[in-house]
Amino acid sequence: MQRRTVLKGGVSLLAAAGAPMVARAQAPKSIRIGYAVSLSGPYAPGAQSTTWSQYKLWAKDVNDAGGIFLKKHDRKVPIELIDYDDRSQIEEAIRLVERLILNDKVDLVLPPWGTATNLATAPVFNKHEYPAIHYTASAMRVRQLGPRWPYSFWALVQPDNGTEPLAAMCAQLKKEGKIKGRIAIMHVADQLGVEMATAMVDACKKAAVEVVYNKSYPLGVSDLQPQIREVMALEPDAFFCFSYPTDTFMVTEQAQVVGFSPPIFYTGVGTPFPAYVAKFGAKKNGVLLYGAVDTTAPGQKEYIERHKAMFNRGVEIGSIGTYGTLQILQKAIEQVGEIDRKKIRDAIASGTFETIADVYTFKDQVHQTAWAVGQWQGDEVVGIYPADKRGAKPLMFPKPKW
Amino acid sequence: MVLFEAILSGVLVGGMYGLIALGLNLQYGIARMMNLAYGETLMGGAFTAFWFLTLWRIDPLASLLFSVPVAFCGNWLIYRYLLTPLVRRAANRDVLEADTILVTFGLLFVFQGVALVQWGGEYRGYTYLAVPVHVLGATVALNRVLAFVAAVALALALYWLLRATRLGGALRAIAIDPVAAQLVAIDVPRLSALAFAAGGAIMAVAGTLVSMFLSFNASIGIVYTLKALIVVIMGGVGRMLGCLAAGLILGVAEALGAYLVDPGLTLAINFALFLLVLLVRPQGLFSRG
Repeated sequence: MQRRTVLKGGVSLLAAAGAPMVARAQAPKSIRIGYAVSLSGPYAPGAQSTTWSQYKLWAKDVNDAGGIFLKKHDRKVPIELIDYDDRSQIEEAIRLVERLILNDKVDLVLPPWGTATNLATAPVFNKHEYPAIHYTASAMRVRQLGPRWPYSFWALVQPDNGTEPLAAMCAQLKKEGKIKGRIAIMHVADQLGVEMATAMVDACKKAAVEVVYNKSYPLGVSDLQPQIREVMALEPDAFFCFSYPTDTFMVTEQAQVVGFSPPIFYTGVGTPFPAYVAKFGAKKNGVLLYGAVDTTAPGQKEYIERHKAMFNRGVEIGSIGTYGTLQILQKAIEQVGEIDRKKIRDAIASGTFETIADVYTFKDQVHQTAWAVGQWQGDEVVGIYPADKRGAKPLMFPKPKW
Repeated sequence: MVLFEAILSGVLVGGMYGLIALGLNLQYGIARMMNLAYGETLMGGAFTAFWFLTLWRIDPLASLLFSVPVAFCGNWLIYRYLLTPLVRRAANRDVLEADTILVTFGLLFVFQGVALVQWGGEYRGYTYLAVPVHVLGATVALNRVLAFVAAVALALALYWLLRATRLGGALRAIAIDPVAAQLVAIDVPRLSALAFAAGGAIMAVAGTLVSMFLSFNASIGIVYTLKALIVVIMGGVGRMLGCLAAGLILGVAEALGAYLVDPGLTLAINFALFLLVLLVRPQGLFSRG
């Protein structure tokens, strides 16, 4: 017993002798990273598969590799996750982010799930100067918020650059004489749906294509067939539905039932989900959708296998994109070499990051060249627009009949 | 023609509303239990149909042979072991109602939590009988027609049962006054449990049929509980045909509103109608009380 104590003392003395070893002794035991994500309530389905599971998988991947390398301490430091459930309540999310920062004193906080929750918690991140790369948020407002919220970064495509390529595509097809250029728009009466539809109408006006129909339906609608019939009677050759998962499934199924099969068929959130594949099988071929990832990005195949092994389910572009933002954070920390939030923020703001989803750069804190439009081609969602991005595939036109 | 199709669509949706409300009507109208975990049985039925089809290629309709008895027994157990103690200790009906609401509210989170852990939170759906059928020149999906037919058949069957059989007479007596019913040798605890369990079984049927055309996930139950509650209150508590009629009125009003005014208004129309009924006939459209 005594000998052991002496031995221990000797070891620590030895450790104190060399300078790099001192630094090693001072290195934190772990990098403490907190987050509040909806694990119950109406946001839970989306939050679990797109956000929460990616945080878990990323932490496991990082820790399996020994941790994040901190130059300052010359060693790898593992991640410790502190997680809370915001119960799909925005006030709760705000409280929890504040709690993580003030009570738990975590080193970093990861953003929550959903546009509204991200916009509501962003002021807290910025007040305490915690950098956050918001992925599941898309709203026109984020473009104006840049200077006010310097610690917030927005990685997803936003309503304006998410719809401009769609209008340009219709204008181009019209010029080539492939379509008459009659556009029908349906959208869910929720912030994202309304903003996308508004941006789309503006973009169509600029591109001189005719919008023959533009109406909303409420969230939680149980039947869209009458509306689809109305659209069908107008004989549009391009159909855009800025929808949420339940209505995405509904509009696709009901369009098939009534035989509405325009050459351009676009649906919103939910289209890349595994459930969409399970439900529609080969009929999904040619359907256009919101956002995409670069399927040629290095590491993506391995990620999909690790995801499958951990959760026993397939991935969707949202989960790949979220994981990508975690890689940005990791790379920024490694560049800085220590947990200095100001420096990490600057590294994110100025860097170019190769991830499994995309190559990310932020200008005015927004990823300006984010993937806007994807398409089901065979069994894969491929990126179509912006067409000049790495991994972009040509548009499949016309969509095969149902 | 488009108008006729819109109305027909509304009728089918209305049938579905009636279908999801029938079980609650039995549980609340007869067994006097305001079951907030009611929608979880629908979720259970939907997941059963989904897993039977995805894992073993078993027809969703065949999955009813499993989900209906399970839902019946499960709801019977809930009534027998969770709710009966409340019935025993409750001083009056108001206390009982408050207690059951609290207990079933907790139950809702238990079921939802278990489902989330077991099956994850993502949306599920499958394609079954999504084939067009032509009714008087209009096109509708067969799976929706099936749900409508089931709603009408079940409502008529329950109506006949309650009106024309001895068992139905006893159930109605319990609905009106459980204490007095006991005085005329009606086995109130047993029959209340039966009504409650039957309500759950009907919800499993509704879950299976609805899952054929609407996507669902582990937290979808509460949405249907609320919808069912609106329909039951509108139609009159304990009124089976009233329940179906209220569902149809809501469905057709939604479809007509969407077609004639604006599709964005369907939910507003729904709740406006509900408010109107609450103001004008708080006892329900088809209730004599």
